[in-house]
Amino acid sequence: MLLADFGTTYSKFIDSSPGSKPYILETKALPADLHVDIATGHNGKRFSTSYINELTALAKGGEARITEKSFTLLDCGSRDIKYIRYKNGQLADMGWNAECGASMGFTIELLERYYDIDFTTLTPPASYFSITCGVLGMSHIFDEITTGVSETIAVAKFVKSIAINAYRFAGEPSTIHLSGGLCDNPLFVKSFPCEVIPLGRYVLLDGIKKIARERI
Amino acid sequence: MGLTKTDLDILNGLPARAKVGIVGVPPLQAIHAITGKTIFDLDEPIVRQNIDETILYLPRVYCAILRTVMLNSLHLDLDAIVIDVGAGKCDAALHVAAILGDKLAIPIIQTRNSDTLDFGTPLCDAKMNLEEKIGSICTGIQNPHPHITHESCLPTAGFWGVPPRDFSILKLFPDTTHVFGWTRCMENKTPDNWPLETLVNPDIPTIFFSQSFCAKTAMAKHLASRHSHGLFLDSDVTAGNSIRAKIQAFLELNGVNHASC
Repeated sequence: MLLADFGTTYSKFIDSSPGSKPYILETKALPADLHVDIATGHNGKRFSTSYINELTALAKGGEARITEKSFTLLDCGSRDIKYIRYKNGQLADMGWNAECGASMGFTIELLERYYDIDFTTLTPPASYFSITCGVLGMSHIFDEITTGVSETIAVAKFVKSIAINAYRFAGEPSTIHLSGGLCDNPLFVKSFPCEVIPLGRYVLLDGIKKIARERI
Repeated sequence: MGLTKTDLDILNGLPARAKVGIVGVPPLQAIHAITGKTIFDLDEPIVRQNIDETILYLPRVYCAILRTVMLNSLHLDLDAIVIDVGAGKCDAALHVAAILGDKLAIPIIQTRNSDTLDFGTPLCDAKMNLEEKIGSICTGIQNPHPHITHESCLPTAGFWGVPPRDFSILKLFPDTTHVFGWTRCMENKTPDNWPLETLVNPDIPTIFFSQSFCAKTAMAKHLASRHSHGLFLDSDVTAGNSIRAKIQAFLELNGVNHASC
């Protein structure tokens, strides 16, 4: 059975048979006739027989990956952010910010390429911007550069702003389990004012694997 | 504030075929006075025009229900509007009433519904499609007569809040959803009833819904935080995918068999 998490910019796949490894394709390169058995993600409905909504997949992924009974799992994707909070093994809260969390991951990736920034070499700056989303936040970068601040520092402040936004959106927990492509961005991970445990890109895939097993 | 003699004279003097708009839950005295006229509930989307037409009169970032009231009022060629303001509706309705009074050449009758006669809440606790249930509650405010009885069902989920501007989200709930919050006050015909409005069932997963930019948003968020199986949810003019996904996931993860399963 082929399972997939169709993200806005990257899609993640895994075969449900034991020992299979997940893999990633750029969403823009997916063939139009692609079809999988179970999917989640923005583009999931049009490519799949069965669709799982992303919050459910995230929650089930958290159940599969996190051993603690109480946790906050935050997924930062290209286009939006969402979180699930469990308390004593029970769902306690959730949120999906598709509008004001708009295009955070996507914007960071665009900035990385445009300014040719290596995020592994940067440390979080002391200050950050007050921004509402990736798109609107970019104007702060441009304003900052006009004051003589380097492009790299301006982008670093932007990245920290995004992390602070996501932290507040998730309810300011003491520990965040982080999911999504931004786990691979060390500046982003270090910019949270709390402990962060990166879980990588495949948490939602793990969630639909768990759901598939439960259905069988 | 009951109706003044002048207000009553205006309503009683309307022709039999008059078109009267209502906003919120007007007091029974007003409902009696307009019974038999053609009544439009202006809180509901009636006119199929772009809601952004209202930005000439109201901010774009504003309660979608009151923007809908404005849109309906601009297009329905009404003979009068009875608009409840104050604690039984909201302060913003008072402001909208003033704007309507300036813009429209018809009587805008402001009421403050302080009715205390309990009509009961049989629909809120009945087993029924939630969209149909809340639709019936909204229609019911135009009827001054006692409710038809409905058998109460065992609840599996709760919906707390005002009737949403976008009723389509209600399709996601099971038929065994009990209704709380201001919608419950509507069915009871006591819109200014704080104990009833804050009543919840602590044992069932409950969505605490509010229209974005509505003052009740604060209470929805607060009550959700105090409820062991509560989720705060707010939505503006129409509900997007993330809103639907939140409802679906919340019900699924709480083990509720919901309508979209």
